[in-house]
Amino acid sequence: MSLTRLSGIAVVALLVLLPLGAGRLYSDYYVALGIRVLVFALFLMGFDLLAGYAGLISFGHAMFFGTGAYAAALMLKYATTSVWVVLAASVVVNVVVGAIVGYFAIRAREIYFVFLTFAFAQFFYNFVNTWEFVGAANGLPGIPKATLGAGISLGDRATLYYFTLAVAVAGYAIARCLVRSSYGRVLVGIRENEERARFLGYDATRCLRRAFVISGVYAGVAGSLLAIDQSFVAPTLYYWSISGEVLLMELLGGMGTLAGPVAGAAFVIVLGDTLSSLMAERWLLVMGLIYAACVLFSPTGFAGLVRRLRTSRDPAPAPGAP
Amino acid sequence: MSVELLLVSVLYGLTLASTLILIASGLSLIFGIVGVVNFAHGSFCMLGAYVGYSVVAATGSFWLALLIAPIAVVLVAVVIERLGLRPLYRLGHLYQLFLTFALSLVFSNLVLWIWGGDNLSIPKPSYLSGFVMISDIAYPKFRLFVLLFSGALALALWLVVARTTWGAVLRAGLHDIELVEAFGIDTDRLVMTVFALAAALAAVAGVVVGAMRNVNPEMDLDLINSALLVVVIGGLGSFRGAVAGSLVLGFADAFGAQIWPGLAKFTPWIVMVAVLLWRPEGLVRDV
Repeated sequence: MSLTRLSGIAVVALLVLLPLGAGRLYSDYYVALGIRVLVFALFLMGFDLLAGYAGLISFGHAMFFGTGAYAAALMLKYATTSVWVVLAASVVVNVVVGAIVGYFAIRAREIYFVFLTFAFAQFFYNFVNTWEFVGAANGLPGIPKATLGAGISLGDRATLYYFTLAVAVAGYAIARCLVRSSYGRVLVGIRENEERARFLGYDATRCLRRAFVISGVYAGVAGSLLAIDQSFVAPTLYYWSISGEVLLMELLGGMGTLAGPVAGAAFVIVLGDTLSSLMAERWLLVMGLIYAACVLFSPTGFAGLVRRLRTSRDPAPAPGAP
Repeated sequence: MSVELLLVSVLYGLTLASTLILIASGLSLIFGIVGVVNFAHGSFCMLGAYVGYSVVAATGSFWLALLIAPIAVVLVAVVIERLGLRPLYRLGHLYQLFLTFALSLVFSNLVLWIWGGDNLSIPKPSYLSGFVMISDIAYPKFRLFVLLFSGALALALWLVVARTTWGAVLRAGLHDIELVEAFGIDTDRLVMTVFALAAALAAVAGVVVGAMRNVNPEMDLDLINSALLVVVIGGLGSFRGAVAGSLVLGFADAFGAQIWPGLAKFTPWIVMVAVLLWRPEGLVRDV
């Protein structure tokens, strides 16, 4: 068994143990923090597929995150409490959003793509911010708790934590399969040389649109899980800082490594949490300075650091990495 | 739509466009010359507005604010260019975008810390407040001033870019900066000058927009968003593209509010999507 797989299993094992100590060794708060880490880890798996493997940097993935959250909130409030139906609805809605936005955005590449996704996300933010039915700027409070079926409620933090963990592990397995499949290799091929991929007969635009939709579904499901956890959604879920934060996690973790960005997500969430408890409102200022320092001093992220320490066994080097 | 209303909409559209030109042309020139998308460009406007506010609060002179704000922001911008961006030029767009994104986060929180989160307004000189009557519609005098002032600055910028020797070097640099360097021109200085110029224009626009509307820690985002829409519509890396995009967006905003009030907030995006369908690279393709 390889070292990578062993460390993966160790991480999952540690995550499984986390809620057991809550209330005894540390407060329940850490379970809530764990849920947030898992939510963003899930988000980053899809994001890395698009940004790391396919080479399309989106600066607007908050649009999926927010849409997933609002879709879940509306389903729970007006339709059903079954988490399966809620997540299915979130997937459907985000496939539609991804298909529509992708249709326009994937006409562009590189920096234009960055702008377009940003502009679309701002559109969604403004839209939700003024839509009275979902509470406009005040958001939508009092979302009922979801149920798993068989009388199990996800209102209990630890149960929801395990559910989120299961979704995240499944999401990781799917993403691993995807990047190892021929489709994943085509995406890397398009990233490295789109013209050549087209010349070989691949429909690059369709492949990229599909990657955009898949990454949107990951982000959407992550948003839904967050909404289920918090019982409250607000337009801030659509805010550009989420898109930026995700980009930071991706850069910090190392693009195109799948596990790297997941670690980046954990790092940023835990760091942000520590800073905000240490220095109240100033924390975003410090966070910004840390972001800046990271990109100046370690542009290839954690994965680059690990790679420097030992030769990598994972293909797909980061695009644009020196 | 009556003739007066049409005239007022045209005036307002031009006013918006003239301020957008000041912001977006800098963004576009920086991108054209070094390939950096300066996400902190909105922060430059915001910093300018806050410095302007403090200057007016301390001295009571609006004109002094228009002078000191750009100087302060240029200093900040030059430090950022020298220490932050220069080491990143050899890396991809993403890293520079990311650094400027981080800096904009720092600036908006810094501003929140120093000036607080409330809406502030920059007091206008008394001779520029009040209204002028256009037939029976009252039009704010200050907006007319903004149109003339920003329009004059934009015209001056155009003259510099299109008619001077430095402008010719700049335009050559937008095409191919390595070739310009091969001709023995100090491109480090060229890049820094462009950065300083862009920051100065952004700061001036910030003061003007801040006096026209409000000054708050979220204005950086509004402005960078508009500026990005402008360059996407107009075409990135070109001065003419920034002008074309600004005019399109300014008029879309002004007329959208008249024709379709319910959708007024969304007209910029509708226009963007329409332009993208028609010309994915933006309206203007050369420098």
